[in-house]
Amino acid sequence: MRTLTLIRSGIASTIQDSGRAGHQRNGIPPSGAMDNYALRAGQYCFGHGDNEAALEFAYGDLAFVTSHNCRFIVTGAPTVVTIGNTERDSGKIEEAVENQVVTVKPRGQGIYSYLHVEGGFDTPLQLGSRSTSPRERIGGVEGRYLRDGDTLPLGSGTRPHVTQCPTPITVQDRDLLSLRFVPGFQFDAFSPAAKQALDNGTFSVTPRANRMGIALEGDPVNTGVQSLLSEATCYGAVQIPPDGKPIILLNDRQTVGGYPKAGAVIEADCQRLVQSRPGQRVQLVPITPQEADRITWLEHHYIETKLS
Amino acid sequence: MEFAVGPAGSLGLRLVFSETPSPSLTYGLLSIQTQAQRQFAGALVDSVVGYTTLTLFFQPLALDRERAQHWLEERATSLRVTANEPEASCKTVTLPVLYHSSVAPDLEWLAEEKNLSVDDVIERHSGCAYFAYATGFAPGFCYLGTVDAQLTTPRLTTPRASVEAGSVAIADRQTAVYPCVSPGGWRLIGACPTPLFDLASNPTARIAVGDSVKFEPVTMADYRALKAKLNKA
Repeated sequence: MRTLTLIRSGIASTIQDSGRAGHQRNGIPPSGAMDNYALRAGQYCFGHGDNEAALEFAYGDLAFVTSHNCRFIVTGAPTVVTIGNTERDSGKIEEAVENQVVTVKPRGQGIYSYLHVEGGFDTPLQLGSRSTSPRERIGGVEGRYLRDGDTLPLGSGTRPHVTQCPTPITVQDRDLLSLRFVPGFQFDAFSPAAKQALDNGTFSVTPRANRMGIALEGDPVNTGVQSLLSEATCYGAVQIPPDGKPIILLNDRQTVGGYPKAGAVIEADCQRLVQSRPGQRVQLVPITPQEADRITWLEHHYIETKLS
Repeated sequence: MEFAVGPAGSLGLRLVFSETPSPSLTYGLLSIQTQAQRQFAGALVDSVVGYTTLTLFFQPLALDRERAQHWLEERATSLRVTANEPEASCKTVTLPVLYHSSVAPDLEWLAEEKNLSVDDVIERHSGCAYFAYATGFAPGFCYLGTVDAQLTTPRLTTPRASVEAGSVAIADRQTAVYPCVSPGGWRLIGACPTPLFDLASNPTARIAVGDSVKFEPVTMADYRALKAKLNKA
């Protein structure tokens, strides 16, 4: 069997594809790659489909060996890839040599990187997806974060058809990242002070950030709204807990919640937020649903043109 | 009935009723959910019924916002206040429960707190059918109502770090079974040996929104026998 063994499993490493759709009604979060564009870029390089998974790892730290000569690419947050004595910047197709350690080191920018391997990771599909949901113990390797020494099965049959990956648009140095959000129902009921605090209010990304959500720091937002009956949570939801510090809900969020929500940050800006390091300044900007639709349309077409 | 339809994120729509939750309202929401699956087919990624809400999630680029919103408003307008019929998929689920302090750390505490005997607590909890209003928190976790007013109890101030799978619990006027080991702040009054969630089953969750749930007290011997049988399978 073709395999890849993790010598150093790195930080918050999991197997992820484009996510597990259609099971939120049974309490299962969608999960999937945090930086979906980076996942798709890697899938594109190998001609992989949506279900073809990559190894997601945070802060660019990884070391592995493969059982056979095998091409791979690292996408997402930029890293330095070392094979033997050769060091190269990530984003290009490389070849791992049987039983020779490949190390990946961070370049100090972004959070999530993706290791895509020729043939793809052949971990089992569960409910139609290979994505790991660690809290629910579903998908990936025994539903958990990867550990040092884990051996992952690889598939066969796919080969790269390009040599270089399109540049990541999610990882960029920005003074201030705009988080455009579509206000939800409860926003109307927020106190005038809370609305003002959220309308072009400036916050910063805290270290309380993971696959479930990212907590922001700033002047507390006192919504004046009590907890509500549980309702479905959406991707990007701006949830305001009693302490007034907004949390942006992401891929591994609980499927329902009862905290007041200002609305939800659009997909395009969430993709940039997940690659932002603690301390990044962000600004919440309310937009209309029609503006959100237009941005979604433009962004998807931009990605399609890059990946075709 | 008063309702509103609006955005739920950039790829979703939410229908919210201002009624208090009731089985009839839930049946109505389930009926609209079924119709939405037909109406929007592949454009719909997922949909979730909450206590008084239905949220639809769409594929990027597949949402025609104005039309979908109009369609939802029409469906909501035609909904009746009472006597909406259950969907064909709604079922009655009977779950065996062992009510015993060895598996239920709060059972005796609750009896004492409410000036009831343990048998009274068991009778009041297992004496009526519950309605499944919403799912969430964990796969297979279902919010069931309504618990006898005599048993109403607040959540623990500090949730337990770990609650056993199968724990039958009460919080306010809701009851539920924890499908898997997890942290939890509800009061634990029993244990159910039947799995509530199984990846290999279809559907994966034993209880769905709209189902009726009955708890059937079993003896320690029956509970052990059921557990042993499940472990073998």
